[in-house]
Amino acid sequence: MLRPRYKFNPHSLSFDKVRLSAKTLLFSFLGYFAGSVIISIIYWAVFASFFDSPREKALKREVAQLTLQYDLIHREMGNVESVLEGLQKTDDNLYRTIFEAEPIPSTFREGGIGGVNRYKALEGYNNSDLVIETAGRLDKIVKKIYVQSKSFDDLISLAKEKENMLRCIPAILPISNKDLTRTASGYGLRIHPYYKITKFHYGMDFTAPSGTDVYATGDGVVADVVSSKRGLGNNIVLDHSFGYMTIYAHLEKFNVKVGQHVKRGDVIGFVGSTGMSLAPHLHYEVKINGSNVDPVNYYFNDLSSEEYEKIIEIASKTGQSFD
Amino acid sequence: MLKARKYILDLSDLQYKQVRLHWKVKVLRFLLFFAFSILVTFFYGTIFEKFFGSPKEKLLNQQLENMKLQYSLIGRELDNSMTYLNSFRLSDDNRYRPILNMETVPETYRKAGFGGVDRNSDLRGYANSDLLIYYRYRIEEIKSMANVQAESFKTITETVAEWKREMDHQPIISPVDVKFKLGDGFRFREVHPVLGTPKMHYGQDFEVPYGTNVYATGDGKVIESGWNSGGFGNCVVIDHENGLRSTYGHLSDIRVTQGMNVKRGDLLGLSGSTGISSGPHLHYQIEQFGEHKNALNFFNNDITEEEYNEMIQTLGSRSKLR
Repeated sequence: MLRPRYKFNPHSLSFDKVRLSAKTLLFSFLGYFAGSVIISIIYWAVFASFFDSPREKALKREVAQLTLQYDLIHREMGNVESVLEGLQKTDDNLYRTIFEAEPIPSTFREGGIGGVNRYKALEGYNNSDLVIETAGRLDKIVKKIYVQSKSFDDLISLAKEKENMLRCIPAILPISNKDLTRTASGYGLRIHPYYKITKFHYGMDFTAPSGTDVYATGDGVVADVVSSKRGLGNNIVLDHSFGYMTIYAHLEKFNVKVGQHVKRGDVIGFVGSTGMSLAPHLHYEVKINGSNVDPVNYYFNDLSSEEYEKIIEIASKTGQSFD
Repeated sequence: MLKARKYILDLSDLQYKQVRLHWKVKVLRFLLFFAFSILVTFFYGTIFEKFFGSPKEKLLNQQLENMKLQYSLIGRELDNSMTYLNSFRLSDDNRYRPILNMETVPETYRKAGFGGVDRNSDLRGYANSDLLIYYRYRIEEIKSMANVQAESFKTITETVAEWKREMDHQPIISPVDVKFKLGDGFRFREVHPVLGTPKMHYGQDFEVPYGTNVYATGDGKVIESGWNSGGFGNCVVIDHENGLRSTYGHLSDIRVTQGMNVKRGDLLGLSGSTGISSGPHLHYQIEQFGEHKNALNFFNNDITEEEYNEMIQTLGSRSKLR
């Protein structure tokens, strides 16, 4: 294979055969290998700076498109947010004009539009998405646990009372009030919408379109069905026994007759604007032994503690009553 | 160091001869070396990519992932905006429109404006086309919903102004202090106290002494002020719009003139017994679209004397502010 090589030795003036030790062979091999790697890297660097592989090309195109669209969407998002801010202002103004009160910020609104990102500190790491989501979920769970424990408290206190009494005493909202947007004005001193003076408002007002179902809030007997064009307008009085009475006022139509037995949740009439009324709404009163009490304390079957707090906030902040 | 010269033993004449390479051989050798090195590079590259992937691709993939994260952040903002829009919509549907007796904006109208023609052809053909189309759809959806909401709020704002005006124009308070007793009401009278003949009594009487303040019961325009030949004596008639008119009869003194705009609670005049009247009293009468209404249904006795006075003062100060 390898031809023998000789090297001239100037001392002995003879040709010595060159002997290659294993070590030398290994070194020269490593040398060649290192050289080839270095050369490869140089070639590759030159090549890569001038040409892209098809896969890289596709990726680059992908990234470019994603970036372009992102910029567009980002700009649009800015526009949307300013439109939303405008809408927010209009919404607040409408609320002020109609209810003569400062609007209640929803919980999610409190951070403002585009809002504070409470998980900002967690961004920028690997799997940050996962961490953010998990943190968010944990928050929700904690809230849920709180609500749950609250409703257990209610349940225990309720369970202590008599079953029959539970069916009779008012315990639900007199109209369906999803998201509580129908709550207008609560019990207490309010500005009278026409007189413009502060008068005591003995009930709770729920704004709703004419014809909306009005429910009996507990089992009982229809004590009175009054047709009137004045004051409370067409109204129904229910006697729930145990000293409890409820009044449903400004109705458009009745669905019950005097003496009729009703169950909680029965439709007894329909919302209207009869009598002294600013707009279609239900005026709801709860009386114990003839004296008025705040109806907000009689919705425990319907409301979670969060909703309960919100309804109190809405009802207490409203500046004017609706009758 | 000097380059070692190479010699080769020529077996034909047993002489050592220096090896001299022709330039062509040198070029050939170099080319061979070059070709071989490329081959080696290719070989190394293949192995490297197989185990580690190309760094450039890695970088690009990372950029891609970063973009996706950015998109998901936008996604959260979009969700946030959607929550806002829904809250506005709830206010709109459940608060404002029912109060103003307005029809709600139909679902079809709210949802109109997207879908249909494929406007996303420019986004097709990418690995992340679905993502791009999804976000474009979401933003378009939100834009269109926001526009509908803005329009709806605009309509509501206009209606609120009308509504407020209408509320203020309703004749809804007692024209005199609630401490005074009510007199004869809206009924057919077999015997008229002065004329002695059967006659319909279209008004509500208030038993008030001479000189009692008589107030406008709602905003409006004075369309009659002066002597009424029909028997109301010194009389004021106010047009409250929406076909409503209130009449204040038998006054001793009138403090407003025809054509004047009055506010609820403004002093119209003083009570008396002018015209066909058997004694000092106020005749208060309401008409709606020319039809006589029972005035008793247009005010409420749910107010005390003090509250009445407070009300007149409050309304009066409002009136002066305008």
